[in-house]
Amino acid sequence: MTPPRAPAADVIATVTDLRVHFRAKGGTVHAVDGVSFDIRDGETLGLVGETGCGKSVTARSFLRLVPMPPGIAAGGSIMFGPERVDLTTADDRTLRRIRGDRIAMIFQDPAKALNPALTVRDQIAEVFSEHRVPDVLARAGIGPATADGWLLRRRAARRARLPERFALALPPLRSRSAAIDRALDDMIADALAETQIPNPRKVMDRYPHELSGGMRQRVMISQALACNPALLIADEPTTALDVTVQARIIELIRDLQQRHDTAVLYISHDLSLVRWVCDRVAVMYAGRIVEAGPTAQVLADPQHPYTRGLLAAVPSATHRRGELVAIEGTVPELIDPPPSCRFAGRCAHAAPACRRRDPILAPVADGHEVACFLHHPPDDADADDLPTADWVAR
Amino acid sequence: MADIPRRVPVAAPLAESAWRVRARRWRELLTATLANPTTVIGLVLIIGMLAVALFAPLLTEPNTPDPYQMPRDWGALNEPPGTPGHLLGTTNTGGDVLYGIIWGARTSLRLSLIVVSITAVVGVAVGSLAGFSGGRIDEILMRIVDVFLSIPELIFALAIAAVLGPSFRNIILALAVVFWVKYARIMRAQIIHIKKNDYVDAARVIGDSGWRIYATDVLPNSITPVIVQATLDMGHIVLVGATLSFIGLAEAGLAEWGVLVSEGQAGISAGRWWASTFPGLMVFLWALAFNLVGDGLRDVLDPRTESAR
Repeated sequence: MTPPRAPAADVIATVTDLRVHFRAKGGTVHAVDGVSFDIRDGETLGLVGETGCGKSVTARSFLRLVPMPPGIAAGGSIMFGPERVDLTTADDRTLRRIRGDRIAMIFQDPAKALNPALTVRDQIAEVFSEHRVPDVLARAGIGPATADGWLLRRRAARRARLPERFALALPPLRSRSAAIDRALDDMIADALAETQIPNPRKVMDRYPHELSGGMRQRVMISQALACNPALLIADEPTTALDVTVQARIIELIRDLQQRHDTAVLYISHDLSLVRWVCDRVAVMYAGRIVEAGPTAQVLADPQHPYTRGLLAAVPSATHRRGELVAIEGTVPELIDPPPSCRFAGRCAHAAPACRRRDPILAPVADGHEVACFLHHPPDDADADDLPTADWVAR
Repeated sequence: MADIPRRVPVAAPLAESAWRVRARRWRELLTATLANPTTVIGLVLIIGMLAVALFAPLLTEPNTPDPYQMPRDWGALNEPPGTPGHLLGTTNTGGDVLYGIIWGARTSLRLSLIVVSITAVVGVAVGSLAGFSGGRIDEILMRIVDVFLSIPELIFALAIAAVLGPSFRNIILALAVVFWVKYARIMRAQIIHIKKNDYVDAARVIGDSGWRIYATDVLPNSITPVIVQATLDMGHIVLVGATLSFIGLAEAGLAEWGVLVSEGQAGISAGRWWASTFPGLMVFLWALAFNLVGDGLRDVLDPRTESAR
């Protein structure tokens, strides 16, 4: 394992050599196999790749959502925040404090990510109850230290049990208990209004199945951003939505991100979307990052054959009929992969050297990195063994 | 956002209070349940029989000292229905069939309520533990459940009750021992299914504790099949209980439908049909009513039909 790199001043999270494997019938699946990247304060980093390339697993590792077993944390670290907490090894209490408060997540399908048994109010109140009890009390005009404070605190945390609720409904506590409810409602309404939900006080009492897909996604974004997290993980947040709604949700995420200076890790398989949303992009293939850099530069001047293939496969208004090119073949089985370039089997430029060892990520321009022997041939290889391509000068 | 038209103009209405929201949910559920005529028939039957059970002391002169024992009128053996004082006739030992039916309803209610609450609570606890924690605990608990399931339930209950000796309490005990495994199975399967939902991950992402996730996200969404099963079992358990007491595993002379049927069976060939028929009919109606309601509930609570609503 390589030691964690020294972070730059404005880096919110540093992923170093992350490896997540899965135990499967035929062996070990290397779903994420040595991924390293930084996320800087307030930037949007796109993680792009085909289904099964490990982008979701990478993102979920931030919140330790990968089920283990069958998952195996095979190595690497995710250092988060100024105090550099390693999210892969942090204890549960530390992790619970970070989750929802400083790292939040938006899921792909809002229909599945909201609890059908709870109203919108209850879903969002949960975040405040877990992380913002002092704020709720302050907003209700209740000082931190009173004799009956613990009961009110439990009210604000929505953990009051039946006898406690009974006590809270009686005169000495009744008015302050109601003030807490009002304060919570206000905070929830504010969170909903933030995502431009019309009439938040009415939506609050709806169950998820009573809302449209776009509204559900807004509710989920409200919930995720309620505590103003430093890092938002968006796992294909618009894939399940209609195209018209998609654009609005993306606008919304961008707008909120700029207003709150939130860093976003944006997972997507859609390159045309990434172009819109992301400051930087990392292209993943078969558990590895093959190319990373500023979005504009990577998309305008892609250096890895896989990135070039992906871009050629994206339909756009400038393409003429019949110009789209699919990448031949499919993603390789990741069960106990041999040391070779993962893309060699599908690469038009693959040479013997590519099948013998792994290329590593190395810079080609300022901030632009590529893992390919086209750019960084190993020292001991023969010239005949090396790949060539017309866009790379040798 | 300016381009989304507001459905309610002027001032935003005040938020509904929490209990009102809940009441709305229950009202929806009730309306959907009552939309099905067979469910309504079942409900009416159940309410009728529950009323009989509850008001038994008012409907008949309770036997002393133990009202659950049939009173014996040795001066009126084998009276046919319609006899003054014995509206549904008497058995060959002078037991009043009407009294047996009315107090039998109370016995059946006691039996099914006790057995269903014990089995549902134990089953849900075991199933939840297995499904939510998974791994080795799941493995061990489910093998125990398998052992219980490998023995036919009636024979198993019969064996336990027979070993413990003939008494109504032992029937309750035997049924409780046999029936909890069903709930454990249902609950485990349901929890494993619900656990895969994104909203469970979402709750984890918010920073909720495991217990909190179980209580707010997993349990409320997994419980409906248990409710349906419990309703069906309210009927089924009375059926099995009547079978056991028919065989003679309850105290003799207990005001219980199965006991009454067995008391009357000797007279059937002699044309004295009433002593067996009326209690038998009650068992049938009881089981039918709970089955109708259970099926109705399943239609309403099943998530597949819910999404269609």
